[in-house]
Amino acid sequence: MLNTVLGLFDKVLTPVLAIGRNLAWMALVLMVAIIMAQVISRYIVNSPLSWTEEAARFLMLWMTGLIAPTAYRRGGFVSIDMLLTALPKKIGGVIALMFLLLALLVLITGIKLGLNHVKSGWIFNSSSLKIDMSWFGYGLLRLKLAWMYMALLVGVILLTVVNIELVLKAIQRLVTPGAGLEAADPLAVESV
Amino acid sequence: MLVWFLPLFLVFLLIGLPVFFAMLAAPGLVLWFNGQERDLALLYRNVYNGMDSMPLMAIPFFMLAGELMNRGGITMRLVEFSQAMMGHFRGGLAHVNILSSMLFAGLSGSAVADTSALGSMLIPAMEKNGYSRRFAAAITAASSVIGPIIPPSGIMIIYAYVMEESVAALFLAGIVPGVLVGIGLMLMTAYMASTRDFPVARSRATWPERREASVKAIFPLLTPIVIIGGILGGVFTPTEASAVAAVYALIISMVILRSMTLKDVPDVFTKAALTTSVVLLLVGAAMAFKTVVSLSHSAEYLAEFVLSLSDNPLVLLFLINLLLFVVGMFLDAGPAIIILGPILGPIFVSLGVDSVHFAVIMCVNLTVGLATPPMGLVLFVASSVSGERVEAISKAILPFLAVEVAVIFLITFVPVISLGLPRLFGFL
Repeated sequence: MLNTVLGLFDKVLTPVLAIGRNLAWMALVLMVAIIMAQVISRYIVNSPLSWTEEAARFLMLWMTGLIAPTAYRRGGFVSIDMLLTALPKKIGGVIALMFLLLALLVLITGIKLGLNHVKSGWIFNSSSLKIDMSWFGYGLLRLKLAWMYMALLVGVILLTVVNIELVLKAIQRLVTPGAGLEAADPLAVESV
Repeated sequence: MLVWFLPLFLVFLLIGLPVFFAMLAAPGLVLWFNGQERDLALLYRNVYNGMDSMPLMAIPFFMLAGELMNRGGITMRLVEFSQAMMGHFRGGLAHVNILSSMLFAGLSGSAVADTSALGSMLIPAMEKNGYSRRFAAAITAASSVIGPIIPPSGIMIIYAYVMEESVAALFLAGIVPGVLVGIGLMLMTAYMASTRDFPVARSRATWPERREASVKAIFPLLTPIVIIGGILGGVFTPTEASAVAAVYALIISMVILRSMTLKDVPDVFTKAALTTSVVLLLVGAAMAFKTVVSLSHSAEYLAEFVLSLSDNPLVLLFLINLLLFVVGMFLDAGPAIIILGPILGPIFVSLGVDSVHFAVIMCVNLTVGLATPPMGLVLFVASSVSGERVEAISKAILPFLAVEVAVIFLITFVPVISLGLPRLFGFL
């Protein structure tokens, strides 16, 4: 039963996170390009662009929201796990499970707060990100800040799904010792 | 009492909750119990606002630059340059390892990148040359610590952002301490080389040979000058400088050296994005955490406690170094700085310690912590690159750690080492 559910999670999460990773690296490419455009426009073309900083920040937020869940799933979130690994397996497993539930509480609260945050973002226009739509008979189309706020909310939602998967895995490990023991690789994600 | 979030946070952290969640769960729970639910929304907003920052963008870009240098055969040119300069000394390859780390430090801001790039090349070469594998791994790990001390530096960007310092001032302040660590390690190597009869790597390079090696390495050698010079000269912001460094590395490795193809691009960028995302979330959480620190006045309580130990800044600096060293044994430099900076920084500044000086003490101490057992990240990387057990490397690294600890205290008690350059350029 638990195995079927976990299989389902894997079937959905793996491709979704892969899409997120692909969007994230492309966002990074664009960020570099945009900041280079900013430097070039200032020194070479001599007409500084106004929208570059905000656009790059927009991309950085989405990059983070889309790829951080992969880092979490691969065990890349920094923690001091000496005690947990030193404790007897059963006790360590129970504490790990409790912590995952606590993290879940944080994330679910985050979703609630994030929804409000995004809602408030529909009121505000971005200061520099706009498209002139007068050709098409519209006025100036300004980007709502909600589109930026959404990056963190999407990140938190994906993290929540990953967290639920981790909870299920922790339960599985407690019920059937020895199952699902691919240890998290501390070097899967480098640190600064 | 809001202050309770701090001990709660410590308990969460020590038992093993990821730092990101601990920084939000501890204040969040206390706020919730206090019925201050409205402030929870503030917490969330601060996470977002903390991440939404231009200066922080330097982190993904420098990560990327490091990753690219790593792939692009640029590391090899630096090693060849170091060989030509120092290969003829007794213990030549050990010296080459240290010098390469110092040069690599000018390109990347991360000790991990340093260890994996130089280690995969130099550890096998040193073994072939007659060094023990554990020694080769140990010197690689010990010298990679210079990476985040000599600019550019990921942790200094984080510190500057969280503590509202100037990135340029911190970068300048790190140069001399970083070089000092390098010289200290070389002196220790020279001493060990004379007592243990280390091999020389090659005969003394002739000057034409040296010139050739320099010309080949000219682009990577110029990068730090372009970055630091550009920032200091007001040509570009640190973030722009980091983007320039990344593009520059991309051009060198794809067009000039052709050591990387278009196929490698997604992988390199994904790695940089992955690493950055964790750091950015942490910084966001730290900004939320910082708000609660000031809301709860816990910094004041802590300051009172610290001052009750002694009111002599020198004694306190000594004690704080011990604390940082212990923290560094268990926690990576980035998260440690994010957690401790806002708590400790204000206390020492009010004691009359210069904020830039304190920043350097913290950064150097916690970076050395990356190479200290039992939980030094760099040790694990050195172990996975070399195939040597962590325990063996941990033992072999001890003499070098002793040198680094000595340098930490030198930096602590001789402020001019860190403050000289920033002062010279008018930052203080």
